[in-house]
Amino acid sequence: MNNNAFLHFLTLLLFKQKGKHIGAVLISVIIIFLLSSVLFISSSLQSMLLGTLESQSDFTVSRVQAGKAINTPSAWMDKVLEINGISQVAPRIYGRYFFAPREESFLLVGVDLFDEQSSKELRSLVKGLDLKSFLSTDSMLVGEGVKTFLSEHYYKEYFSFKTPQGSFKKVKIHQALPSGTNLIANDMIIMPIELAREIFGLGEDEVTDITFNVPNDAEWDNIIGKLHLLFYDVRVVEKREIVKAYENLYNYKGGLFLILYLVAMVTFMLILYQRYSMVYSTERKEIGILRAVGWSIKDILKLKFYETAVVVLVSFVLGVILAYLYVFIWDAPLLSQIFLGGANLPNHVSFVPVLEFGLLGSIFLFYAIPFLAAVLIPAWKIAVTPPKEAML
Amino acid sequence: MNEILLSNEVIVYLLSETVLYFLLFIAFLATIGLLKRWNFDAFTTEQFALENRSYLVMTIIFFVMMLKVVLLPYFVYTIDNLSDLIPGAMCGAGVVKANEYGNPLLALKIIILFLSALWLSMNSIDLKEKNYPYLKLKSWFFVLIFFLLSTEYLLDILYFTHIETTNPVSCCSVIFGQTGGANGLPFGLDIPKLLILFYLLFALVVLTTVSELAVMSIIASLLFGVIAYYAVVYFFGTYIYELPTHLCPFCMLQDHYFYVGYLLWGLLLLGLFLSIDAAIMQSFFKQPAKSLKRISLLLLSLFVLLCSAYVAVYYLKNGVLL
Repeated sequence: MNNNAFLHFLTLLLFKQKGKHIGAVLISVIIIFLLSSVLFISSSLQSMLLGTLESQSDFTVSRVQAGKAINTPSAWMDKVLEINGISQVAPRIYGRYFFAPREESFLLVGVDLFDEQSSKELRSLVKGLDLKSFLSTDSMLVGEGVKTFLSEHYYKEYFSFKTPQGSFKKVKIHQALPSGTNLIANDMIIMPIELAREIFGLGEDEVTDITFNVPNDAEWDNIIGKLHLLFYDVRVVEKREIVKAYENLYNYKGGLFLILYLVAMVTFMLILYQRYSMVYSTERKEIGILRAVGWSIKDILKLKFYETAVVVLVSFVLGVILAYLYVFIWDAPLLSQIFLGGANLPNHVSFVPVLEFGLLGSIFLFYAIPFLAAVLIPAWKIAVTPPKEAML
Repeated sequence: MNEILLSNEVIVYLLSETVLYFLLFIAFLATIGLLKRWNFDAFTTEQFALENRSYLVMTIIFFVMMLKVVLLPYFVYTIDNLSDLIPGAMCGAGVVKANEYGNPLLALKIIILFLSALWLSMNSIDLKEKNYPYLKLKSWFFVLIFFLLSTEYLLDILYFTHIETTNPVSCCSVIFGQTGGANGLPFGLDIPKLLILFYLLFALVVLTTVSELAVMSIIASLLFGVIAYYAVVYFFGTYIYELPTHLCPFCMLQDHYFYVGYLLWGLLLLGLFLSIDAAIMQSFFKQPAKSLKRISLLLLSLFVLLCSAYVAVYYLKNGVLL
């Protein structure tokens, strides 16, 4: 059979019988749109988080007692410094400050601005900061979420923290953190370490934890061993573990969604099976004519297969494009809240477009295989009808 | 909760395999019916129904086969992705070794693909004749393939449910590396001999295919497959990674190496399949398979060229060999 004539016939047929396929295309587009939006959000968040974590410090150590982290003596810093292969050791005060009236909390980070910071982001922040004016009064840097929250509560320039001693500490809002860091820095406040110590009521030579980097990855396990030999009551948190935990979290969210979506897919298959059985049974006469003019069963099957393939491809492309627009251009209203969680300060994140070939492949397989499989048997049934019978 | 089963790729993969297995099961039932009652000389309604049903079997196998071709790289991609979740694994090699089902599963997948390709060729010559001469043969053949497919499906499930995320697995450099001076190559080969064999066997495959020596061509292709695997892992791979100690068939599937592994292994496997397929068609079914041969030679030559190009480019860039 002349292939061009076949394809020509196929296109003619598709345009002639648009109505038959529109239903299937519509359901498919909705299904793919939902599926790919969720997966796009999940993978975009994952890659943003990993990108942010990449610039975080490699290790965080703190003292533990009865399994809980307690204040770490600053003297530990000097001991940590003595281990070979460690760089950028910096003390930190890190904790949550609860804004009592509304039960919201800020993540308070106190850093020594004169030390070399182990986190790349802090480093670049400190570099861009006018230290003279920042340190001349008690001031802080706040995340976007904090800034909006505070200005809603009429703290436009200053905020008064309540210390454990009952006194108030008035701190100037110096500037907001860049909005690119919103995913983790939305509720963050950065301030000089002495100030944070005062607000949390820590002792003069105490910090909450110590961060440092180990440039040589191969030495990481070694360093952990050395730390455990140095101190007996230490908890070491590695960046690797955090990365894995986040990866698991997003796998979990996306995976759970996919598993629930399986139900939808099975229903979709049943609907398709029904629908195509019906659609094809109206085509009996047409198939009969084709068979009568000399088409073989194989040719009919080929025709039906191509027809379905076109429907699958068209709806896949449409669904993915819609999802792309929804997530990356319009920042996924509604759906993004499932992933970001709005328990604390409201967060707004604009998603960085991440399109992996593997992800698109997964979506395609998840949708196309059930679709094609559901249509296979109805297509065969109609293809083998004898021409004579079809004419009756 | 098992983290592996929540990974998106694993869910998609297992769903696809389940749907395909379900279809194959229908095909299997239909085939049993065919085998029991097939009689081409009969003019009964039942015989016509059976002939129609054979089209269903054919369609299903064709469909499944096409998707399995896609699912094999997807499977490799899946296990490559899982390497982030499993401690110690840097690439697919460690994940495959995570339990005892991994390696048989991968081998079985390749064997099944090859057998189904053979089935399809058989089917196409069967359809060309007027009286379906090979129907019984191809049905029995499908029954055999179906049992392999069932094993594969079982292994799929066993494999993914038995990956531990707490036990560390070995990294590829431990599995394939020459730690402790042990030579990983079989038959006491060393690298120069391996390379000589590689190019000689390639020449042999080309010669036997061109001169239509079917049996020799099958043997040569199989041998070339084995030697090519070792040559890529132990020699050409090091040029892809540009690191003499990095021996691994899986790492080249990652994005650092521009996913070249999919192309490389794809060319080799497809080339071998087609060349063996062509030889069998020619010797057992007396069917000329000129175009098959041409394509298979093209693919294999591309494979050899690609491998050699990595070495050549490395030499041109750095002026030394590894």
